[in-house]
Amino acid sequence: MSTEDNPFDGVAAGLGAVDEQLRDTFGWYTVAKKEFRDAIRSRGLWLLSLIFVVFFILPVAGALYLGLNLNITAGDQQLGMQVLISSLYLNMVTFLLPVVAIFVGYAAITKERTSGSLKLLLSLPHSRKDVILGKVLGRCLVVGVPLLFAYGVAALFFVASSVTFQPELYGLFALFTFGFAIVFVSITVSISGAFSTSMRSGIASFFAYFYLTFGWNSLANGVGQIMANQLGIGGSIRWHAVLILKLLNPSQAYKTLTNSMLGEGANAARSARFSMFSQQPPAMESICTQVLNGAPQVQQGLFGETVVCGGQGSLPIYYSDAAVFVAMLVWVGIAAAISYYTFNLADL
Amino acid sequence: MGVKSGRMAAIELDGVTKRFGRVTALESVDLTVDEGEIFGFLGPNGAGKSTSINILLDFVRSTEGTATVLGYDAHEESTAIRERTGVLPEGYDVYDRLTGYEHLEFAIESKDADDDPDELLDRVGLSHEEGARKAGGYSKGMAQRLVLAMALVGEPELLVLDEPTTGLDPNGARLLRDIVREENERGATVFFSSHILSQVEAVCDTVGILNDGELIAKDSVDGLRDAATGDTRLVVTIGDEADGETAREAVTELRSVDSASIDEDRLTIDCNDGAKMTVLNAIEDAGVTVADFEAQETSLEDLFAAYTETEEVAPEQ
Repeated sequence: MSTEDNPFDGVAAGLGAVDEQLRDTFGWYTVAKKEFRDAIRSRGLWLLSLIFVVFFILPVAGALYLGLNLNITAGDQQLGMQVLISSLYLNMVTFLLPVVAIFVGYAAITKERTSGSLKLLLSLPHSRKDVILGKVLGRCLVVGVPLLFAYGVAALFFVASSVTFQPELYGLFALFTFGFAIVFVSITVSISGAFSTSMRSGIASFFAYFYLTFGWNSLANGVGQIMANQLGIGGSIRWHAVLILKLLNPSQAYKTLTNSMLGEGANAARSARFSMFSQQPPAMESICTQVLNGAPQVQQGLFGETVVCGGQGSLPIYYSDAAVFVAMLVWVGIAAAISYYTFNLADL
Repeated sequence: MGVKSGRMAAIELDGVTKRFGRVTALESVDLTVDEGEIFGFLGPNGAGKSTSINILLDFVRSTEGTATVLGYDAHEESTAIRERTGVLPEGYDVYDRLTGYEHLEFAIESKDADDDPDELLDRVGLSHEEGARKAGGYSKGMAQRLVLAMALVGEPELLVLDEPTTGLDPNGARLLRDIVREENERGATVFFSSHILSQVEAVCDTVGILNDGELIAKDSVDGLRDAATGDTRLVVTIGDEADGETAREAVTELRSVDSASIDEDRLTIDCNDGAKMTVLNAIEDAGVTVADFEAQETSLEDLFAAYTETEEVAPEQ
């Protein structure tokens, strides 16, 4: 039989070559592949896919079949997707995805450590760095594949629904979400490398999650207050510090990125950063001008004065979406550093 | 570094001490295993055998001293060591959801080798059907065979086998010994740790005995036998039971005899090695006929017990 008769032979050979190339290039590749092969057989993963699909489909399916009231008037169909993402998906993802990441990653190393399969793994010529990297990447795939699947299925529903499907917006949202998932998987896997039992690793991971999700904002604002009241550092330096601290939190970074993506026009990123603050109008005005290089406008709203930050000036580059996205991924590096000083230097 | 010149040490521990908190697991251990030998690492459970092996593989780091394997530093160059070493670790677990074949493929890819998984399965006595099953369902013995097969991947220069007979039935243990010999003939150095003496005695050239974190003896199997007590037990059957007491008195007088006892026509004599003929001659000189005699060498089992239980017997280092 010639290869023309069986095109799959060619495909298989091609895949084999890619596989070998990856193996030769990256030390972590073999570990990541084994991780994924192992994890893909677990019922937990399939449950995970199911959870993702259900959560991603429910809102759009509701819009499609149940006539869920989204306050979308006929003319606003264009905005339907933005409304769905900002009102439902964004909060759901920031709350749910880290929990899923913890579930997938908390025992990544502790389980192998307590069962003894880590000895099997480290008897083979893998460095501990490759083991951590392989674990992180393998587990990222474990979260990423069901996530991608859920995004895909939800996209089909969007196309079928009355809400206009905007592939660019949707793709960007998927990318940010994937980045966010990678960050949390890295954090949990490296925590797993630092503890001797899965129980302890799980507790530590949840502690980190609660702190990052619910405690970080008060930390950032608290630091700002201490700077102003105790150290006498007020004005723009204070707000710069608070904003940088806020952006260092992966959940906050993810949210503000998504908000900026949903916004319209040149001012989207600025308004997204601006909306991370909730201070009195005078403070808000100085944040807008001194930190975000914008022009504040005071509007009379239903609940008193609100400040909107607009303007023609360009947003400082270190607060741009690209910078925030990179800063979010810095957590992967922080996680790697934790791993180096815990797993890499520890006795098994 | 790692460049071979002539016959070199496959493993070299130099003053290795390991403390876990306040517990000392290893105390200043010096050990050299020559390239190409089958080295038996013997000691009761908890003596520090696994800690030593863990240091060789960089699973744990020594508190003091240096460990060198195949010319590479055990800590700094661990990956290079494990590229050239096949390991059957102790207290491991297999990946429940991966099949036997997938385990082997993982080892082959990790070592960048090109072994045939089927051949490896054959060598360790696992069928292809068993190889296609998930390892989670394996018995202890099957898992042990699978991990042994993984250790053989890539024709390693060194095989480190930590308590390799655990979970193996007598057939499995025999198969293991055959494999150890085959690998050694191919040129591999074998480091074989066990608390079971007969396993080590049957296959090893050199034996090191570890007790309480200290290496208390290292020699060839024969050398250790001599060193332990230097005794041979002779059982002489005499022609006439009535001469028993005469014969006993005759041999007791000899300087090379430690003790002698008579039970009906059987005279049991503990004497120095090589004193066999002197003893037999003394009996005949006393006018007693020797009907039969049998020399029993001290079993290594006694020796092992002597080394690890009685401090006084340990030879000076």
